[in-house]
Amino acid sequence: MRIVMAGTVLAERNFIVNANPDRVWRLIGKVIFSVLPGMESMEILDENNFRSLLRVKMMGFEWVLKLRGEMVDISPPESFSVRLLLEGLGGLVKADQKVSLAMTPAENGKTSVACRAATEDMGFLQRVFLSGQARAFARETFEAIERRLKELA
Amino acid sequence: MKIDVPEKWDKEYDVVVVGWGSAGTAAAVTAHDQGAKVLILEKMANGGGNSSICGGNIIVPKGKEFLEYLETLSFKTTEREILETFAEEALKNGDWIRQMGADVQVFRPLEVAYPTMIAGAGFPHVRGAENVVKYNIKGTPEEGKPSQRLWKFLSGLVAKRGIQVLTSAPAQELVPNARGEIVGVIAQREGKRISVKARRGVILTCGGYENDPWMKWDYLPVKPLHFLGTPGNSGDGIRMAQKIGADLWHMTRLACLIGFKAPEFEAAFWVAFLSEGFLFVDKYGRRFVNEAGIEIHEYYKELSHFDIEKMEYPRIPLWAIFDEQTRKRGPLSRGTAGYNRDLYSWSLDNSAEIGKGWIQQGKTVTELASKISMESKVLEETLARFNHLCKAGKDEDFGRPREDLRALEAPFYAIQLWPSLINTQGGPRRDKESRVLYPDGKPIPRLYAAGELGSIWGFLYQGACNIGEALVFGRIAGKNAAAEKPWA
Repeated sequence: MRIVMAGTVLAERNFIVNANPDRVWRLIGKVIFSVLPGMESMEILDENNFRSLLRVKMMGFEWVLKLRGEMVDISPPESFSVRLLLEGLGGLVKADQKVSLAMTPAENGKTSVACRAATEDMGFLQRVFLSGQARAFARETFEAIERRLKELA
Repeated sequence: MKIDVPEKWDKEYDVVVVGWGSAGTAAAVTAHDQGAKVLILEKMANGGGNSSICGGNIIVPKGKEFLEYLETLSFKTTEREILETFAEEALKNGDWIRQMGADVQVFRPLEVAYPTMIAGAGFPHVRGAENVVKYNIKGTPEEGKPSQRLWKFLSGLVAKRGIQVLTSAPAQELVPNARGEIVGVIAQREGKRISVKARRGVILTCGGYENDPWMKWDYLPVKPLHFLGTPGNSGDGIRMAQKIGADLWHMTRLACLIGFKAPEFEAAFWVAFLSEGFLFVDKYGRRFVNEAGIEIHEYYKELSHFDIEKMEYPRIPLWAIFDEQTRKRGPLSRGTAGYNRDLYSWSLDNSAEIGKGWIQQGKTVTELASKISMESKVLEETLARFNHLCKAGKDEDFGRPREDLRALEAPFYAIQLWPSLINTQGGPRRDKESRVLYPDGKPIPRLYAAGELGSIWGFLYQGACNIGEALVFGRIAGKNAAAEKPWA
């Protein structure tokens, strides 16, 4: 399955997991939340919405950002997206990202996983100063998802 | 005991509904829409019962093969024709909600917590399980949790029709006439006894007995049991039905989670962990179960082991041991459901509850064991073994899946947990027409029941079905009671 998304692409990653799509689907939710580094005080607002604090390193300092997440476009066991709204530093940092994952059957009962993160909304200053951080964060998250999924599969 | 029919009634209606939750609403609305004059008697100051504080999901099965699933779960404790009626009518739950002016959305949860609320069947290996689909009332988190949205919708139906509701009015007795027909209800309001005539029928929808210590002790398989839901469910409907000779069924059945009980709160707090870093131990510090593998409504089955020599339940209470990462990840009691949801806001990092002494903290296992009065050697061994299994990626002791394993690191925390009822399932036996039955199987004239009071769940319970069943048999009871010929 191809993910179609608007906005600026921050990171993409494709990999194969040695498990069928149903198994990957069962793992993926918990994997995402367990690999997101620095996620604290998670509050589940309802079955598809959560908010939490995210402790991140930017420009050599540790910052605490407010994170609001919404699971959207859920289509088991093929794809889903998490819309992430980040806010911090007294409103100076604001970002709206969409992280999408699509799982398609591959040969020999394996699953091809396509990850993509894109910004939905980012101001000019934030694009200049923070898009590098956002790209790095998305990249690291996808790497961690791949590592953990492959461990568990 | 003889109950005299009053010569003069204080109030007079066609149909009297006792208890105002999902079943009571479905019954009252259906009876009203068939032209009956309806009164709802509610014991508590507000309606809602367990419906307004539960998970808020409603079963709308995919197809009729759902019946096979139901039959397996019932373990022959419920007649096939009743299950057939439920399976057929539950298919219409979504349409009924739409007809009534709301919309539904498929329940697709974030499966991030232990215990896990899952989208599909609780027993996926059972034939027909693929037909389990849960819905809830469509809305955003700003419009409330699913059960809040459910209750807003249901109570709105009653308000829109102008159906009269008497709150703080517990029903106390059913009134049979000389022919054994149930012709009214005696209730209590503002210290006075009121008699309410029911020209066509009475419908009992007043829930189970989660808050009746003696009934729980007598009927249920683990002791003691706290409750997560409304304190209003204290067995009133069962006692009223017994008094007029009704048969009872499913009295030993329950839906049960684990919860933390604070002495200053009447109900227990539903507890769940937002990270894999936790384990359960019995009161002696021994691990006893795959903590990630317990079906969310069937916790009591793992806790009901009774040690004959010691004459005790060694897993009641149990202790959950967890670490700093789990503590910081999110609140142990999330406010998804439960009576305490609106009474207390659990701190996001659990620090307030550590301050209150609800959660114990230890820099080392020894310190923690000492705080919870447990032999430290046993707990140390248990934790060392658990961490070893996590690092090896294989739980050889209880088969907890690899993705649910994480070794714990100091500092350590512990919270005491008890089996805690979501609801009981037992009550007066009824048939597919929602008629309450005598022990010989004959219906008690003009008496109906629906909802958790004498539910159809006689063995294993599938999530989202209590609300689904309340709507189904509430509608049937309302329709049939309204169709009775007035006795006077």
